[in-house]
Amino acid sequence: MRPPAAKPLVATTTSSSSSYNQHEPRPENPLLLLASSRAAKLSLGCPLLDRLLSGGLPAASVTEIAGESASGKTQICLQLALLAPLSPLSSSSLFLCSDLPFPLRRLRLLAPKSHPDLLDHVFVAAVHSPSDLLSLLSRAQHHLSHPTHSPHRLPTRVILLDSIASLFRADFDASPADLKRRTGLFFKISAKLKELAYRHKCVVVVTNQVVDVVEGNTGNTMAWSSGRQVSPALGLSWANCVNTRLFLTREVGSDGGSTRRHMKVAFAPHLPERACEFVIRRDGVFGVEPAQR
Amino acid sequence: MKNEIQESVGILKADKGANKFKGAEEPSGVLKGAQNAWDMLSEEQLQKHISTGSSDLNGILGGGIHCKEVTEIGGVPGVGKTQLGIQLAINVQIPMDYGGLGGKAVYIDTEGSFMVERVYQIAEGCISDIMEYFPYHHDKSSSGQGNLQPERFLAGIYYFRICSYTEQIAVINYLEKFLGEHKDVRIVIIDSVTFHFRQDFDDLALRTRVLSGLSLKLMKLSKTYNLAVVLLNQVTTKFTEGSFQLTLALGDSWSHSCTNRLILYWKGNERCAYLDKSPSLPVASTPYAVTSKGVRDAATPNCKRVRIM
Repeated sequence: MRPPAAKPLVATTTSSSSSYNQHEPRPENPLLLLASSRAAKLSLGCPLLDRLLSGGLPAASVTEIAGESASGKTQICLQLALLAPLSPLSSSSLFLCSDLPFPLRRLRLLAPKSHPDLLDHVFVAAVHSPSDLLSLLSRAQHHLSHPTHSPHRLPTRVILLDSIASLFRADFDASPADLKRRTGLFFKISAKLKELAYRHKCVVVVTNQVVDVVEGNTGNTMAWSSGRQVSPALGLSWANCVNTRLFLTREVGSDGGSTRRHMKVAFAPHLPERACEFVIRRDGVFGVEPAQR
Repeated sequence: MKNEIQESVGILKADKGANKFKGAEEPSGVLKGAQNAWDMLSEEQLQKHISTGSSDLNGILGGGIHCKEVTEIGGVPGVGKTQLGIQLAINVQIPMDYGGLGGKAVYIDTEGSFMVERVYQIAEGCISDIMEYFPYHHDKSSSGQGNLQPERFLAGIYYFRICSYTEQIAVINYLEKFLGEHKDVRIVIIDSVTFHFRQDFDDLALRTRVLSGLSLKLMKLSKTYNLAVVLLNQVTTKFTEGSFQLTLALGDSWSHSCTNRLILYWKGNERCAYLDKSPSLPVASTPYAVTSKGVRDAATPNCKRVRIM
């Protein structure tokens, strides 16, 4: 079996060309990017959720999934990690876990019996702090730039971080200096994630927790979940660091007792604001039509 | 009094007329390169504006985004900054036959929000509106139909993706040469201008100097090449006067060198734009909408509800 062809680095700002100096920045033609952009989407494994996302999660972009605990964030990440090798992206996943311990048992349960080797393509790394994450990302960058050629090794084109909020729980008080330092780290982490996403055409997913909000924020920053007004954690600064924000909400049904869940597009450069109802089953997260329950 | 004014106008007109004989390049003032106010006014009126897609928004901007000026557009995530940026990159390309500038766009993407499929969708929306507005025109013009393809609009955008502040400085420095070689560019959009500068910098004074330098350079480029420069910016919360206020990121260090400033914000469930700074227009605000076709006028006073699929 032939080893997979090395994926060439995406044309960076210093590629040589006849009319451009080697060190000059070089513009790209969006028309030439159109076909690859449409193809490079990671499906969620459900046509309804894929329709919500116009095909799936985009590459070269950072998507945030925010929600309360047990809203389905980790489940979706595990699902994506298992879908990646069989998808058109044909990739392995790097799962950066700060919400320890890593849910290995759940991952095993999700893996379909037909493809037991899917777990071979999920690489898990524990992350303990923001600086830990930054050094991990640097190493990942180096690793992605120098891929090893082996018949069973798929290129890593999916990066999952679960969660960004837990990285910032400790180590920071509310003093202005610390808040500033924290914000600086948001932008540093985001810039690194986005660079990785762009240069290696990766799909990057970051999960985030929610906090209660007292006064009503306008627009897209808050939602109702479990009877409270909540907003994704880490505030406006972190909101400026992601390209797409998906909100997972949960309401107790009017008929009492039954839980209804919605995946809502809070903002995205390529999607309208709309929502889709979904359920969490043993074999994964799936969208449901509003009529069927 | 009226006679005196008429006399002055007559003198200015005659002076202008006389210069036409000498040749358009001839400076009309005592100093070389100086222009009299009359010339500047006529030039200003000839300058076209780039439509934002929303006639209400064009209204508060005095026709649209002005060439030869730097416009800063700020707002919270999701309010539509990138949408507006892409809309302008498409609208600048509207052919002159249809009331546009027929120019090209430079789009400098620092955040990765430039989604090509959305650009395609907005191009389609723009074309469909043109066909609706000019139903017979494109039949007459032989080349008209060929020009109005979304693929052409996509190819008319020079797209730079930069991943660090050093790359951002390099691209802006390179623009002078690039614009000299591509004279059909009529708009430069940077989305967003402060993202890479919000990391922790050891030397904040250096950061301020770099940003000021960049903004001055961009101002000079806009005047030299007669194009619009649009800088999209993020907002942050600042603790002033006892409460948290939304302000433009890094505003203190550089924002004062923009000619115009437009703030996009949410009013309930509706998107609004507020003209905060302009040399000639009053402050004003108007609602606008982001539709599948792009940026348009707000539809109805009713708030936009989230569609459940």
